[in-house]
Amino acid sequence: MQFIKKTNIDFMKYKFVAFAFSGVLITIGIINMTVGKGINYGIDFAGGTMVRILFANEVPISEVRGALRDAGIENNKIQKLGDTGREFIIRTMQDIELSEQGMESHEIIGRMVVDSLRGEDEKRALAEGTIDLNSIAQTNLAVLLETPFPEKGAEMAEKITNFRNHPDQMGIILDYSQLETIEGISIEVINYLKKNTFLSHLSVLSKESVGPQVGEDLRRKATQATIWALIGMLIYIGIRFKYAYGVAAILTLAHDVLVTLGIFSLTNRELNLPVIAAVMTLVGYSLNDTIVIFDRVRDNLKLLRKHKFSSLLNLSINQTLSRTIITSGTTFLTVFTLFLLGGEVINDFAFTMMIGVVIGTYSSIYQSCSILLFWKEIFKPKKGMGK
Amino acid sequence: MKKKLRWKIILVAAVILLATFLFYPPEEKIHLGLDLKGGMHLVLQVVTDDAVNNEADQEIIRLREQLAKENIEFLSISKSETRVGQFAVQQFDPEKEGQIRDILDDNFKNWDHSVRETSILVTIKPGIETYLRDQSVKQAQQTLSNRVDELGLTEPTIQRQGLTGERIIVELPGVEDPDRVKEILKTTALLEFRLVKGGPAETKEKLLEEHGGEVPGNMEVMKGNPTQTQGGYYLVSNVAEIVGKDLRNARRSTDEWNKPAVSFSLHPDAARRFAKMTGENIGEPLCIILDKELMEVANIGERIPPPGDTIIHGRFTDQAAEDLALVLRAGALPASIKYLEDRTIGPSLGADSIRRGLTSIIIALILILVFMGFYYKFAGFNAIAALTLNILILMGALAYFKASLTLPGIAGIILTIGMAVDANVLVFERIREELAQGKSVLSSISSGFSRAFRTILDANMTTIIAAIFLFQFGTGPIRGFAITLIIGITASMFTAVFVSRLIFDLTVSKKSKKLSI
Repeated sequence: MQFIKKTNIDFMKYKFVAFAFSGVLITIGIINMTVGKGINYGIDFAGGTMVRILFANEVPISEVRGALRDAGIENNKIQKLGDTGREFIIRTMQDIELSEQGMESHEIIGRMVVDSLRGEDEKRALAEGTIDLNSIAQTNLAVLLETPFPEKGAEMAEKITNFRNHPDQMGIILDYSQLETIEGISIEVINYLKKNTFLSHLSVLSKESVGPQVGEDLRRKATQATIWALIGMLIYIGIRFKYAYGVAAILTLAHDVLVTLGIFSLTNRELNLPVIAAVMTLVGYSLNDTIVIFDRVRDNLKLLRKHKFSSLLNLSINQTLSRTIITSGTTFLTVFTLFLLGGEVINDFAFTMMIGVVIGTYSSIYQSCSILLFWKEIFKPKKGMGK
Repeated sequence: MKKKLRWKIILVAAVILLATFLFYPPEEKIHLGLDLKGGMHLVLQVVTDDAVNNEADQEIIRLREQLAKENIEFLSISKSETRVGQFAVQQFDPEKEGQIRDILDDNFKNWDHSVRETSILVTIKPGIETYLRDQSVKQAQQTLSNRVDELGLTEPTIQRQGLTGERIIVELPGVEDPDRVKEILKTTALLEFRLVKGGPAETKEKLLEEHGGEVPGNMEVMKGNPTQTQGGYYLVSNVAEIVGKDLRNARRSTDEWNKPAVSFSLHPDAARRFAKMTGENIGEPLCIILDKELMEVANIGERIPPPGDTIIHGRFTDQAAEDLALVLRAGALPASIKYLEDRTIGPSLGADSIRRGLTSIIIALILILVFMGFYYKFAGFNAIAALTLNILILMGALAYFKASLTLPGIAGIILTIGMAVDANVLVFERIREELAQGKSVLSSISSGFSRAFRTILDANMTTIIAAIFLFQFGTGPIRGFAITLIIGITASMFTAVFVSRLIFDLTVSKKSKKLSI
């Protein structure tokens, strides 16, 4: 099978169209990042608190918003996950007045968010010291069960918490009758638990808070990592290729980063650590494509001394086109799988990689070689760029 | 040629065996990161200013005593409000300046001093200050380790960020009770027994009436904890008779009314001191201070003989008594700490991420396998074999390096699947080109591999460079991504070039007229 037969597309003919297209994309992106909506920094970089909560039943988003407002947590973003209507991510960057000395606001606000979402009966039960079966630690549950069921407590506690923490339950036992399905948990045990515990209607899936100092720190580190990686690649290309090729490769990289970040900012997704990782990976990836084409250009320069440089570039792109499309295709396919199935935590990462793969492929075909051609026309080097 | 092939087969077989041995069974050999296992990642800041301030406090007390001994009068000694590790002796007798400076020179060698009009400014030497700060972080790290050990948590990591940093990273997999653990780690747990000299009184003014409204030199005013004492203000000695490190065997117990309490005994030296002190002060009130807060005030009924068995009453819940005993056993923090970052992932979310991650890996793998099989036919299966081996090597290497597999790490594996076939694609496309030029099967394969190799190396190097810097600067989960990417791509150069070539060598003979590619 072969998708791409021997092609002879005149890519260089479209160089101005491609430049214009990229120019527009980059301009829109930069405008949006600077004077427009700006970059939506996640808590990794801006500091703040993020709580991910699963309710036992469907809860309208307005109710969540209302509960938070009542608790005085105004500066928040609520995002519904999936289509069950039960799962939410709540982000807040609020600074609150603190009564507890020496505490940073990000330390307690997570607890405030969770508390505000509990029902009245639950708050009362907790205040009275009743144990919540949906949040009790396994060791404590073992102690609780050991009294009426000596020597079986630990085993039963393990079974119950394993059941509760299984991805099918996600930390919530909806009803005591669900426990009947667990082997080795008798009606007596369930009745005992019914009497001595209650079932809260929410489960805290994750709670993350980042103080302002760390946010600043992470921002600095991310910038450093990106810059050093770029320098590293520049050095590598400098060693392996002639000057002009290095410059073309780096300009292509800058193009990829700018376009990807621009599109990213337009989607209003959150810039977090995994996204930075994705950007850095796509930098490496896009360069990979560019290098493959440049390698071919170098080969062809030795073989076909009579060719004009622009047609030589065209030939090289055409010769590697099949490979470029297939590799991009396989990479895109895997990243797309991750985007669809990987879950919320990794979604932004997968999305960024998806844009990156497309942009990286486009740019190594259209941008890197066009830049070489311009270089030749402007500087007219005697060596390394054919006729 | 045949002999060379045999060695290659043995090498590949050895790699397969080694990788399998390293990572099987995966549940035991693959170390999961916090985001997959569930647990807590904390970044703490040690407020090292506290350590310097404590040192200054002690030195001020010492200086006061020495000045009193020499009958040198002064208005006050007070700490600077703007500069940590600096205090000033205010309005002393100018004639005695030399005498004071002699005392400072002789007995306060860790401090510099300078005269400003009517006061002497005493400042800690920079080297000493650095040392104190560094020590306080080291001690804090030790104390935190002790506490985590006492909590019985498995596989904790407690490490300092950088060699001279003031931050400590604590990673606790499988924590079920995050708020409690945070509370326990944060408690300074500075315990002191001091004699009470006056109070309780409702206000500070009332308390100080008999002392002419001023706090006497060797005492200080403290507020009683309203839930555990009568409340109000007390005048207490500023000398601690017993401190936390004198304690032995702190444990939760119950008092004579069967209420939760904390009981302990003392180390021999301290027990003797305690016996002497209690013997001399029968009938006097003694107080227990925890983290600058008065926990309990009680009159000394009799001399308490060694080993100084004592009980702290203070209206605890069971859990609170347990936790206090724990922190007393583990020791006090030399300085307070602040949480800078706190990420807690519940066990069910971790399990869910594993499930989603594995599903994505399997689907991605199947997609690539099907595609390669269709597109390159027989050669495609060659690539599939290489890819499978690649993942096997990747898992083996992860297990060998004890690197944590994180969710971004899983993303790295998936990306590797997509990118590793690139090396195969480069080779196969080259072979196709060579075949199209009418070369024989064997020489097409041979030149396809040799011509593609430099390109493969160049292209993969850039991704590896990016991943190395990502690893260098990244934290936990991101490092997991970088490491899988580095291993995966490096392994792909072995599998897609060496192994793939071997498979061709084994299956294609000189007589082959056609190659299924």
